[in-house]
Amino acid sequence: MSEPSAVRTPLSPPALTETFRALLEADFTVLLRNNRALLLSFALPLVVLFALFASKFYIALGDPQFRVASVLTLGMASIAILGYSMTVARDREKGVFQRLRVTPAPTWTIMTSRLLVQVAAMLAMALVVLVAARLFKGVSLTAEGYLLTFICVILSSALFLGVGQALAGLIKSADTLNAVGRIAYLPLFALGLFGQSTIFGTTFELISRWSPGGTVETLLSGAMNPSSWSSDTWLALAVSAAYSVVFAGIGIRWFQWGAR
Amino acid sequence: MREAVAWREGSGATARARQGYTLRGNGVTSEAPPAAGLALQVDDLRVSYGPKRAVDGVSLDINEGEIFGLLGPNGAGKTSTLSAIEGLLKPTSGSILIRNVDARAHPGLAKALIGVQLQSTSFQSELKISEIVKLYAGLYGVPLTKPAIFDRLTELHLGDEASRRFSQLSGGQQKRLSLLIATVHDPPLVLLDEPTSGLDPQARRQLWDRIEGIRKSGRSILLTTHSMEEAQSVCDRVAIMDSGKIITVDAPAGLIEKHKNDRNVLAVARGQVTLEDVFIGLTGRELRE
Repeated sequence: MSEPSAVRTPLSPPALTETFRALLEADFTVLLRNNRALLLSFALPLVVLFALFASKFYIALGDPQFRVASVLTLGMASIAILGYSMTVARDREKGVFQRLRVTPAPTWTIMTSRLLVQVAAMLAMALVVLVAARLFKGVSLTAEGYLLTFICVILSSALFLGVGQALAGLIKSADTLNAVGRIAYLPLFALGLFGQSTIFGTTFELISRWSPGGTVETLLSGAMNPSSWSSDTWLALAVSAAYSVVFAGIGIRWFQWGAR
Repeated sequence: MREAVAWREGSGATARARQGYTLRGNGVTSEAPPAAGLALQVDDLRVSYGPKRAVDGVSLDINEGEIFGLLGPNGAGKTSTLSAIEGLLKPTSGSILIRNVDARAHPGLAKALIGVQLQSTSFQSELKISEIVKLYAGLYGVPLTKPAIFDRLTELHLGDEASRRFSQLSGGQQKRLSLLIATVHDPPLVLLDEPTSGLDPQARRQLWDRIEGIRKSGRSILLTTHSMEEAQSVCDRVAIMDSGKIITVDAPAGLIEKHKNDRNVLAVARGQVTLEDVFIGLTGRELRE
């Protein structure tokens, strides 16, 4: 029988890099094993991409870059609102977060790890969509355009993940959040589809353009064609940053780690 | 507060024999660990949920190598006390020292010194058992290789379950895994919130052996339980809580001896006074939510 003095007493908490690596590895594994997340991340945007290019009707929505930007926006909204916020709510109900919080890992690392994994999923989705758009629909960008698009995907992810965080902060029940998320998802994405079209009138076009989805679509379509980057694109960048701050602020202020 | 000081001073005086387990009455027997220090010192702890005070001036000390039980009816403040020590709840006042580390001032280090089994816990449903162990070992800065993880799982008869998910395990297996994760970093203090609730007698006995094994390795344990049998079989000392306060504390046999002639205890006793009679006598017969 060992004596008490043999019990290990750490002199400092574990290194941040070690805890963060452990969290990231686990969160990536969870993402890759989550069929719903994979379906939302990749299959849905690809289906919509082919749909938006399948009919002449959709030409009225905007140029090819704008339609690809819409698909990227849809993918990001799906990942953040239907994927991320649902996973957070479900894990909160099951007590996963409380279990993690009693470890030495700082609480911000628990959430940051999850958010980084979602950003990585969004970048992977963007890559798949852009490759598919180039191969099958002939929408090719310059190298600068691809780089700027990926940068804007990272910036835009903050907006949608902020929305997801706000939903998870305001709604405790996973079932309720699932229902509200589906309802919120449509205006967030679908409203933005008409940001370059006046088929429903100029007022609707204005609302659509500056809705969360609309600003991201404007930003991404500007990034895809850097030569056409305009003051409107800068404004879209500023507005999406403002949306990100507001939604993330709500999500952080009202977020609760436990379901009780 | 005065009461807490009084029982602290008197707590080392009662030694008792327990069938099947080595006697360790607060370091008073020859087999007891040397009084190297305290694993946990809680002083005048208060926790509130809005206007409701869940923990109201709780003070307790746990010696190294001691198993300390918290008994109390539902809503007595047991889990809130544990949650405050674990860092899940912010106390309104009071101090918590884990091996002399101020848990409120240094939460990261304090959490590295404790292992926790929550009352109801779950892990990411997409992770395999071996991956869960790896994750939690990593969170405590303990690098475990695959064979090392398998060895630890095998020790708890979970080697065959390494590739399964947490939800696919039986209740007993889930509790054993939770205990493994609570001790994956060999902490000096282990906090167990109702560790054997919902288990069949065989699984419960197995878990008691595990808990005893943890203590034998020199670690201290603070556990909550509703089982008087568990308190008597496993704990060196037991505190009875009600309405956020500790009413009494002593070795299980000492509690019976101390309160066997109390009027309320005698009123509920059916024959020889048991620990349950003491518990009900001190906390009342009313049902708690």
